[in-house]
Amino acid sequence: MEQLVEELKKEIIEVLNLEDMKPEDIDENAPLFGEGLGLDSIDALELIVLMEKNYGIKLQNANEGKEIFKSVRVMAEYIKEHRTK
Amino acid sequence: MSIYIQSFSHISTQEPLNDQWFDAPHVLSERFNPCVEPDYRNWMPPMETRRMGKLLKRAVTVSLDALQKGQCEMPDAIISGTGLGCVENTEKFLNALLDNNEECLPPTPFMQSTHNTIGSQIALKLHCHGYNCTYSHRGASFDHSLLDAFMQMQLHQIHTALVGGFDEMTPDYFNMLGKIGYWRKMELSVCDLRCQGHSGSISGSTAATFLLSDQRLANTMCEVKAVEMFYGQDFSRISAYVNQILKNNGLTTNDIDAVVMGLSGDDANDAVYHRLTASVFQDIPVLWYKHLFGESFCSSAFGLAVAAECLSHQRIPTGLLYSPDSGKTEKKPCNILVYNHFNSIDHSLILVTA
Amino acid sequence: MDSIVVTGLGIVSALGTGVEATVEHLLAGQSGIGKIKYLDTRHCSLPVGEVPMDDGQMRELLGISSEKAITRTSLMGRIALREAVMQAQLCSRPSRKVSLVSGTTVGGMEKSERFYHDFLQNNERNEYIALHDCGACTDMIAHEFPGMFDFQTTISTACSSAANAVILGANLLHTGRADVVVAGGSECLSKFHLDGFHTLMILDEAPCKPFDKNRNGLNLGEGAAYIVMELAENAEKRGVTPLCRLSGYANRCDAFHQTASSPEGEGAYRSMMAALECAKLQPSEISYINAHGTGTPNNDESEGKAMMRVFGTNVPPVSSTKAFTGHTTSAGGGVENVISILALTRDFIPANLNFSEKIESLNFVPVLKVQSHVQLQHVLTNSFGFGGNDSSCIFSKIQSV
Repeated sequence: MEQLVEELKKEIIEVLNLEDMKPEDIDENAPLFGEGLGLDSIDALELIVLMEKNYGIKLQNANEGKEIFKSVRVMAEYIKEHRTK
Repeated sequence: MSIYIQSFSHISTQEPLNDQWFDAPHVLSERFNPCVEPDYRNWMPPMETRRMGKLLKRAVTVSLDALQKGQCEMPDAIISGTGLGCVENTEKFLNALLDNNEECLPPTPFMQSTHNTIGSQIALKLHCHGYNCTYSHRGASFDHSLLDAFMQMQLHQIHTALVGGFDEMTPDYFNMLGKIGYWRKMELSVCDLRCQGHSGSISGSTAATFLLSDQRLANTMCEVKAVEMFYGQDFSRISAYVNQILKNNGLTTNDIDAVVMGLSGDDANDAVYHRLTASVFQDIPVLWYKHLFGESFCSSAFGLAVAAECLSHQRIPTGLLYSPDSGKTEKKPCNILVYNHFNSIDHSLILVTA
Repeated sequence: MDSIVVTGLGIVSALGTGVEATVEHLLAGQSGIGKIKYLDTRHCSLPVGEVPMDDGQMRELLGISSEKAITRTSLMGRIALREAVMQAQLCSRPSRKVSLVSGTTVGGMEKSERFYHDFLQNNERNEYIALHDCGACTDMIAHEFPGMFDFQTTISTACSSAANAVILGANLLHTGRADVVVAGGSECLSKFHLDGFHTLMILDEAPCKPFDKNRNGLNLGEGAAYIVMELAENAEKRGVTPLCRLSGYANRCDAFHQTASSPEGEGAYRSMMAALECAKLQPSEISYINAHGTGTPNNDESEGKAMMRVFGTNVPPVSSTKAFTGHTTSAGGGVENVISILALTRDFIPANLNFSEKIESLNFVPVLKVQSHVQLQHVLTNSFGFGGNDSSCIFSKIQSV
């Protein structure tokens, strides 16, 4: 699980182009959206693409992402349970 | 009625965000010429720029710089020209689409690929709700943006405007345009852009913007007295327009201190310019800029910049002269004509005065 | 300022070719949205509003040989341009300074995406490299009437392009730089933007439901449409009868987000208010609004709120015709200007199809069934593009109160 969390942090940094950040800068329990990392709706769409591309999880609409992308840890738990890749 | 250039800013093949190119230009020697990039962290935090391709970063930066230099907090309008839009993002999305058979595509490059993304990104940064438009008409894209601003000021619809030209060149697009004759085949070390008997020019990328206003202010660079844009292949119309623009402003060709032209080293492109210098522009010093900024769909913005800087500095440096042995450049310039065309069919004529 | 009149209309869309086919479908409540027939995409189950002709059929209609390199955007543009120019009698009753202002964003991408590997790897399709950009499309469209235009330009502001073309056209007329302006836009479907909208998750997999509580997104469409504009005195001089007036127009920026509209519809509100001011009209004088109404959760609520800010509790009859034509993106402003003028001059209000339940936060429902024999005086039409490029136009009856 911890490995997945680390992997996710690296992927998030890459896909969202968080140039100056390293994995250790991201708190896996902090909110990703709003406060915390301060990501927005376009980032949510990028994460939806990431879920499908890397883990084979297809979300039907953007709203589904709201609960799943609460934090890196919540994301990792969802992926662990639903991944097909 | 006239409009006024308050400031100019650029990121290009020359030293960015200053007028070093005016007195200490770097003459281009390659066929493909990348931009000299400033440190964007001086202008925007990384969380803001992370999504922006290079062209967007350049566009926002020169806009902030021009506003600062022109001492304006908020323009009434943002009007942008771009011939190809954000090519980098377009290629990213297109390649992903083709490589992945239309699946799992990244939304960011799509979103940032539309031509009006440039103007809207500037508006977003400034929170500017005013008029916002984007012209994408090949080599006249910047010129038509200027025309729009000019007309709106003439009709008292706006008082200030950021008007810019933005185009970028990527290696792939450079290769594609090379196939249809855009670039010189021979290295410039063998013969430079002034050698006739060649087709093609050299490439550059443009991010150039002007802050315009309908009033002359303390820091005004120059006055744009008239703007004429037309379409057609009839050469006699160009001289007719030149004579008209001069007559309407109480001038003759004797009053013109220099003419700035988009000479590029390509025979077909340059033919129109040479015909004009042999006829209606005879004995007028010719200034050029593509040897410094390269060819891109919006490089005509540098034509206006050359005129503005000469009038603002009140001198014409020899580095901008097409023929260095033109004699009449000691006099302080007062009236400069800027003429640009694309493919000999889209023409733009601008009269600029001190 | 002198009055601007409209003297010609031209249109091609999922509703067919020409003004009469368009009116027929609108009056019959018959949508042109259906399965993808011509675009070669893996997302072929998405409902779209395609022009019901392949390139070959359009070439035949225009008399263009199969050898000539031309983009689908340009083919559509020529069809619509031809109709508008003919109606305005610009060939038989010419004018001196005629301009073409055309909107597009896709340009030649529908061909470029097909030939991209050729562009990079061989010389098989080089003639299409120069046809990719927006300006090239406009030039190709203008060639339907060689020698007619002494100025042409291309506006690219996504979904408000064609509306902005009208706005520039008005200024060309008011400054005397043109005597006649043909303004509008053309956009064909492409995998590039179909896939782009798909990845933004704003497409509906069923026919779109503008202003409905359970709307899921938009259906893309394609098409082209132009209006011929001139000062009233020029139309009189040429001996042509004007259809209506362009009485107001405005362009404002939402400056909120690259793809989403602000919740309170700030840009939309400003553009409608500025258009009303330009027309010197009170909100209560608007007879009908042809909304942008894409069917996305974001746009319809945002636009609806903006309408409430402008019109208060008296929002006039509203409909979005995008459930008829699809969202024709850069041509949308043109298509919907033509539809609005048809509504105004033929006294009908098109229906807002596929509606069942009101959006809770809005105080109006759209027009559900076509209303015929209604006397419209002033029609407002909205076109809102990505990047917050929001534009509105108002067309008025010639002798309006």
